[in-house]
Amino acid sequence: MIEVQNLVKTFHDRKKGEIPAVKGVSFTCPSGKVFGLLGRNGAGKTTTLRMLATILQPTSGTARVNGHDIHQRPAEVRRSIGYLSGDTKLYDRLTGRDLLQYFGALAGMHGDRIAKRIQELRETFQLDELLDKRVGKMSTGMKQRLSLARVLFHEPQVLILDEPTAGLDTVAARRLIDLIGDMGRRGLTVIFSTHIMTEAERICDEIAIIDRGEILAQGTVDSLCHRNGSGTGKSLEDVFIHAVEEVSVEH
Amino acid sequence: MSTKAFAVFRKELVDTLRDGRSVFAIFIFPFLLYPAMLFFSSWIQSKNMEAAKELQVRVGVVGSEALPFVVDSLAAIQGVTPVPMTAVPSDIEGSGVNAVLVIPPGLSTALARGDSAKVELLYKDAENKSSAAERRVRPFLDRLDLMLTLDWARAQGAHAEAAPAFTVGSRDTSSKTEVGRYIAALVIPYILIFMITAGAMHTAVDATTGEKERSTLETLLATSATRAELVLGKVMAVLAAALTGAITGITGLWLTFSVIAKAFPAMESRTLDIAIGPDKLVMIFLTLIPVAVFLSATLVAIGCFARSMREGQTYATYVYMAAVFLGLGSFGEQTPPLKNFMIPILNTALLQREILTGTVQAAHATAAIGVTVGAAIIMLVMAVRLFSNEGVLFRN
Repeated sequence: MIEVQNLVKTFHDRKKGEIPAVKGVSFTCPSGKVFGLLGRNGAGKTTTLRMLATILQPTSGTARVNGHDIHQRPAEVRRSIGYLSGDTKLYDRLTGRDLLQYFGALAGMHGDRIAKRIQELRETFQLDELLDKRVGKMSTGMKQRLSLARVLFHEPQVLILDEPTAGLDTVAARRLIDLIGDMGRRGLTVIFSTHIMTEAERICDEIAIIDRGEILAQGTVDSLCHRNGSGTGKSLEDVFIHAVEEVSVEH
Repeated sequence: MSTKAFAVFRKELVDTLRDGRSVFAIFIFPFLLYPAMLFFSSWIQSKNMEAAKELQVRVGVVGSEALPFVVDSLAAIQGVTPVPMTAVPSDIEGSGVNAVLVIPPGLSTALARGDSAKVELLYKDAENKSSAAERRVRPFLDRLDLMLTLDWARAQGAHAEAAPAFTVGSRDTSSKTEVGRYIAALVIPYILIFMITAGAMHTAVDATTGEKERSTLETLLATSATRAELVLGKVMAVLAAALTGAITGITGLWLTFSVIAKAFPAMESRTLDIAIGPDKLVMIFLTLIPVAVFLSATLVAIGCFARSMREGQTYATYVYMAAVFLGLGSFGEQTPPLKNFMIPILNTALLQREILTGTVQAAHATAAIGVTVGAAIIMLVMAVRLFSNEGVLFRN
């Protein structure tokens, strides 16, 4: 479960002064559910997810990830999460095996456990062709499979995925989204950010729309559509644009 | 030049001129570098001259009865103490003198007869005090040569310009091994300093700034490893590269001058016998570790701070130049004051020189190692702090 309470993040810029990126965000992502954070570029999605992954320190507010407070027990938070960002690259000079062994070791796993885990993931991610190949020589699809294997390698209970389909073609993106949905069905708690409505509609149990660092709406796809008075026949995209434009007018 | 090529040229120029680091490196740095080099080399030279003036040397005189005034003349030279001796010692330094002036018995008779004779100062160029003794005595030897030439000319009724049948001069008795040891003591500490810096530079920037540039940093920060563990791992990798660089550098030096040069007759004159005992090698390696940790941690800290590989390489180059400058300081005075052992990098080079010449002083060793270990710890803490500071890691 992920519980976010009034999370605030303000960056300081020497020329521009204080820049609020996240302004008191609160939401709850139940265990074993897929939670989508929908927002435009610069809405505050990445900053929010980075705070949940303890990569960034919140200015105020807090969150509990898998029962661990991000301020008080950041190491436990990191131990229980798998973090993947669409921008994230892998180490080109390592082979697939090197990479999995490296992240396994960083997660505190030992030799036998690492070898066993590679065997367990071999089939799901078709690792055979990746293990002895250098990352730099892999195709985008291969890298994506390896990235996912890396995220799941230490058996996290929570997945934090920041625009995981960024840069992927339609087919690869669809495959990845289905895989994320499958992880949710297997009992993992998944929070992922996207600005692609169809992805969110396809797998999310619950959605929060974020813009200018604030949560504008939250609920299931159906409830969001009805709550905004859109009536039937309106898509999530309509709801999203309506919510975002409303805030733009206010600003 | 085509229009397109010119467009590229113009763009690159504008790009470079808008990069503060490039502007500094091209327009400002040279105006700082050369005065610094001039100041530094003048400082070393003046220190060496001061040290040379204060140096006291002992010159043995064998056969002084043939030229009784020699002892008094030598005593009149500042910083020279003549020591009458009955025979040429087999080990000059071991006999308590720094050089020996050998006057052959029956010199006056030989000169009167027009026989050949040789007045010779035996010294070792590879020994600091011995070569200093030779420099001090050399003007006197020139005067003696002139005086004996005139005496010979008078006795022979010949012109003084005619070639005399005797010589007055000095002879370097350093063995090949002693020359090798001397050069090794001078050069090895310096080579080690710049090799560890050069070896560490690329790895440090690649392991830190490279993570930012390759977008692998976030993934790393989201693992359960602590920031201190991550930094420590990176410093250890940089340290391994630095020490490997130092070892290969010295091996390369040894191979070139002791093996390759010997294999080619044309290079025979450039051969050196670099023979360093295993005890000294171990001590050199042990003293290298603290300074290598210090430099590795410094470069990792800089790498954490830099926003791009380009910026990181620029900063690392400044560290490299600073290290090279400080390493050059080890070419200075032979008995440096204790305060010089308080300056990281320079202190290690000086201590290694003392190790190689067998003149280690406990106070020097304690200061050099203590200061360097302290500096290494400070830089490690700083590297961890920078790596834990999101404002630094994610600044743009």
